[in-house]
Amino acid sequence: MTALTAPPTRIAPNTLRAAWRVFWYGGRMSYGMLFNWARPSIYIPTLIGGPTFQLFFFAALGSYATDRSPAYFAIGNAVQVSALAGVFGMTMAIANERWFGTLPALLATPANRVAVFAGRFMPFIVNGLLVSLYAFGLGVVFLGVRLAPGSIAVAALALLVTVFSCTAIGALQGAISLRLRDGLFGANLVTMAILLFCGVNIPLHELPGWMQVVGNILPFTHGVEAVRQAADGAGFRQVGWLIGVEALVGIAYAVLAFALFVLLERSARRHATLDVR
Amino acid sequence: MAASGAATPAIEAIDLVRTYQTHTGVLRRRPMTVEAVRGISFEVKPGELFGLLGPNGAGKTTTIKMLITLLLPTSGAARVMGFDVVHDTTAVRQRIGYVFGGDRGLYDRVSGIDNLRYFAELYGVEPSEQRRRIAALLELVGLTGRENEKVEGYSRGMRQRLHIARGLLHDPEVIFMDEPSIGLDPVGARELRQTVRSLVDAGKTVLLTTHYMFEADALCDRIAVINAGRIVALGSGADLKDAIAERTIVEIETFGVTDEAVERLRRDDDVSAVNMEERDQSQILLVQSERGAHITQRLLSLLGDTRVGKVVAREPTLEDAYVHLIATTGHDEARAARAASVQ
Ligand SMILES: Nc1ncnc2c1ncn2[C@@H]1O[C@H](COP(=O)(O)OP(=O)(O)O)[C@@H](O)[C@H]1O
Ligand SMILES: [Mg+2]
Repeated sequence: MTALTAPPTRIAPNTLRAAWRVFWYGGRMSYGMLFNWARPSIYIPTLIGGPTFQLFFFAALGSYATDRSPAYFAIGNAVQVSALAGVFGMTMAIANERWFGTLPALLATPANRVAVFAGRFMPFIVNGLLVSLYAFGLGVVFLGVRLAPGSIAVAALALLVTVFSCTAIGALQGAISLRLRDGLFGANLVTMAILLFCGVNIPLHELPGWMQVVGNILPFTHGVEAVRQAADGAGFRQVGWLIGVEALVGIAYAVLAFALFVLLERSARRHATLDVR
Repeated sequence: MAASGAATPAIEAIDLVRTYQTHTGVLRRRPMTVEAVRGISFEVKPGELFGLLGPNGAGKTTTIKMLITLLLPTSGAARVMGFDVVHDTTAVRQRIGYVFGGDRGLYDRVSGIDNLRYFAELYGVEPSEQRRRIAALLELVGLTGRENEKVEGYSRGMRQRLHIARGLLHDPEVIFMDEPSIGLDPVGARELRQTVRSLVDAGKTVLLTTHYMFEADALCDRIAVINAGRIVALGSGADLKDAIAERTIVEIETFGVTDEAVERLRRDDDVSAVNMEERDQSQILLVQSERGAHITQRLLSLLGDTRVGKVVAREPTLEDAYVHLIATTGHDEARAARAASVQ
């Protein structure tokens, strides 16, 4: 046992430093560990090919069917493809624990659960931003998207907050499917709903009333509106409240997702429900 | 860091009970209660290697899951290093390692070393020491050189060794291993036993479960034989053997023995237990008796016109003790078994 004669120093689990390590370094690792699409053979068709197709498809269809410019659709879909990455990525980041059977090992650790959970958001937010930036690039080059130079920072902030809130609904979806299986079905439903209800291609005020209600409680709606207005030159003063509402919607979903996760952990101890073996 | 050694047991189970609510029937689902663990008590001393031995479904995993805070006991209590497994979960989790058998439970898409790095963070291993610690553990379990390969390409044995390394990352004081040798080849299983031994030599407390008698005997300081949710015997391997030391085992090879013939043997007053092992073409009857080898003639005549092959009379082994314990402690016979148990 020469190998193990020097036991390691350990950070007490209830300290801020331990939580930070789990959040920051642990969170980063969850991308490769849990994201089905992390490998190039899936990433490129799904998160580069798919968004490219989506952008051109809706720009062509939309400008043919309405009097809006291709740029209008390009902006909406460039933001929406980040949501796709965020929702699916985060659903996998939670639900795949079940697939790998790693939940018992994870739950047997003393790690701070908030830090574990929150850390998982990071790589998927970053990934969503990258996918979206790529799509914006396409829009600028091919579809006439123009951003007022003074508003780029505000548009970027709105985009970031939007990706966060979409990732949060992905987390909720992930937590649900820890119990109900088949998480990707739910993730599909959510991304389709965003496409339809949230002002990606059809402005919210042109939808029937009940659809507007749905759109307003889903993530994305306020964020994409903020990005659009910023692209037209609006500053933080005009769109700040939209960004704020989007952030609140995101936080609400994130809190709900975490609460469900904690609830599942508790009920698993009581009722042996998470296949914790 | 157990205060003054002997005072605090490393593990203490007090009348642990756990039931599961499930359903029976496909069409008309009726609720059903499974009594997986039905009142288990034992203590494990610091530095001891303690084995929970029992057949599939005996309640071993359920017991371990309660001790490592993943399942709440239905009643009873348990402490690990003095901390309550229901309420002091963080304190317990900091001090224990958990190794389970089988090939699930790893992040397959990343390398072995990334699996260890992630858990090193979850267990709060000081960042500046992670590299050295992980290297030492890879060395210990024999994965050095393979650590950068994705786990999805690992063999069953490699996965099992990775489970072990992961369970030891934070240098836990108490290590729980649930059937750690399941699926290992004989060489791997022997290496595993050496690793477990070396942990105990280094002062760790280990509780392991197994359904292999010889493994429990080769490794454990003390063995609790568990059947149908109860401990039916508790002691060292020698203690367990002593319980039937007076007996003789007559092994009779038969070809197509009938249930009636076996029943005739069982009913004989001088026969304590009969167990049957199915072979390809034949059956081996293991007859336990307190009468010595001269009972053999009578046994053969009781078998009537059954075709008989090789017959051997021998001393009992630990395996026989185990077989005897399990055979005589089916569900509601547990009480009788406890009377026969050794302490
Ligand atoms: N989650 C569960 N739900 C219902 N029954 C269970 C569950 N887990 C285990 N059991 C039952 O409890 C009993 C003990 O199981 P277990 O503790 O896994 O035994 P062992 O590990 O000794 O094989 C078995 O009858 C098993 O079928
Ligand atoms: Mg088991």
